[in-house]
Amino acid sequence: MPERAERPDRTTEPPAEAIAVRPRFAFRYRNFLLGTLAVVAFFAAWQAIFLFVPLNPLFMSKPSLIAAGYVDLLDSGDLAHDLAVSAVPFFLGLAAAVVIGVPLGMVMGWRPRVGYALDPLLTIFYASPLVALAPLLVIFFGVGIPGKTIIVFSLSVFPFVFNACAGVRAVDRRLIDVVRSMGGGEWDLYRKIMLPSVLPYGVAAARIAVGRALIGVLVGEFFAASEGIGFAISRFGDLFAIDKMFGCILTVMAIAVVLTEGIRFAERTAFPWRTGQ
Amino acid sequence: MAETQILDGARPEAGGGEGASPGRRLWRRIEPAALGTGSIVLMLVLWQFLPDVLPMKAGTKLFFTVPSGIAATLWQMFASGSIWAPLAVSAEAFILGLGLAILVGLPLGVLLGRSSVLAAMCDPFITAFNATPRLVFLPLLLLWFGLGLWSKLAVVFLGALFPLLINTYEGVRHADRLLINVVRSFGASEWDIARLVVVPNALPFIIVGLRLAIGRAVLGVVVAEFFGSQDGLGVVMVRAASEFKVDVVFAGLIVFAALSLIMTGLVQVLERRLSRWRPQHVNAD
Repeated sequence: MPERAERPDRTTEPPAEAIAVRPRFAFRYRNFLLGTLAVVAFFAAWQAIFLFVPLNPLFMSKPSLIAAGYVDLLDSGDLAHDLAVSAVPFFLGLAAAVVIGVPLGMVMGWRPRVGYALDPLLTIFYASPLVALAPLLVIFFGVGIPGKTIIVFSLSVFPFVFNACAGVRAVDRRLIDVVRSMGGGEWDLYRKIMLPSVLPYGVAAARIAVGRALIGVLVGEFFAASEGIGFAISRFGDLFAIDKMFGCILTVMAIAVVLTEGIRFAERTAFPWRTGQ
Repeated sequence: MAETQILDGARPEAGGGEGASPGRRLWRRIEPAALGTGSIVLMLVLWQFLPDVLPMKAGTKLFFTVPSGIAATLWQMFASGSIWAPLAVSAEAFILGLGLAILVGLPLGVLLGRSSVLAAMCDPFITAFNATPRLVFLPLLLLWFGLGLWSKLAVVFLGALFPLLINTYEGVRHADRLLINVVRSFGASEWDIARLVVVPNALPFIIVGLRLAIGRAVLGVVVAEFFGSQDGLGVVMVRAASEFKVDVVFAGLIVFAALSLIMTGLVQVLERRLSRWRPQHVNAD
């Protein structure tokens, strides 16, 4: 989108000096306050509705029950154990995706012929729902860490490849020329110019990859597992233990939000010149 | 010498200016396509002949298939017509879920884009649902809607809704204030503003959202059928995997990928059709 000049949209708005300090505080945190209010209202309404509607504990739960179930999960250590089990393939798969994806993408971005050769091939893989191969991978590699790690890797490697490629292509040509005229070789270019330029793209890729990696873990565990957070969710579902199931689901949501928003925050803090995207 | 090689590798245009021979120029034009197809063909050929070159245990062979086998299976599935019934079941969930997501996502996106209070209130929910893989709700949805169309539809709907909603919202927020004020000073209602200014302006955003939504919807159909369904192409694939019919799994993958590519292509056609009125300089951004 092109930068448009700021236009005053409401001419009746008082000038900045006229606004007192307190309203300005409320205004600055307006979005945050409204959001918090909405979340609180949502949970309150959820709790309150079962004062009027009979609760069928086999199908629905309410916040007070979920909280009680959650305390149970925490006390018994089940939740911590399941999360720890799921975290291993999650991080191993992501780490492998970074280690393989970023260098591959950098070479694709720097060497046009490599780019021409691999771009269509990888795009096909990226566009096809690779999750569909999960049953095969689970049968072949088993239900343990290797199977899940490979699913996570195969889902999360592509954002790194394509973003690293885009990062290299966005490198300022003059920087390359400077390094060359100072006598720098290919390796210096990769290390001193391309890697720093790829970094913000890599972090952006991580934000996308985290979501896909979570899908990979869940798919792997829904299929066949004996522990892990995905297994816990589907087992509580089979047991009709809805409150504990909600607890696990909310935990996964919280983790997803913390990871995604955390990376977004890191992006804004570390690379403030790259807003948007 | 090493230096020139780097230059050549980094910028193929450096080697051939005006003085390049016609053959070289032709090669330069077709090089990207040739290398792209070449690598795909090379991969297929290697895959095809891998079992002949690499000694494999009988157990591993059970899990292995070659492209010719996949192609034969795919052909056979279409020739015998055995693919149509499960494909129809999957397509039904896909189309209904995506349609519902469009019906809900577009108006809601416009509404949130026009009202900053509503947007601020919905933001935590949208952020949370968008960050979370919708797959996590599948066991819950299975419990609520049972096996079959409805739970599948719900997964597809949840997957496709958020890209559409968020992109529509962003597009609406980017609408030109000046145009809105002009229309408003001619006495337009909020409905007119949406119809005349906001939605046409948000179209490129909406199209991108739609493309993302198609990918998510296909993913939703696949996983929903893997875990909670009795028929559909995904079910065929899971059964095939457990019977070691690896060909069928890959054939299903190809059909799903093709479905997603065809739908994305249709969206591109739609985009061109719908943005014909748009002046070129706006398109360029």
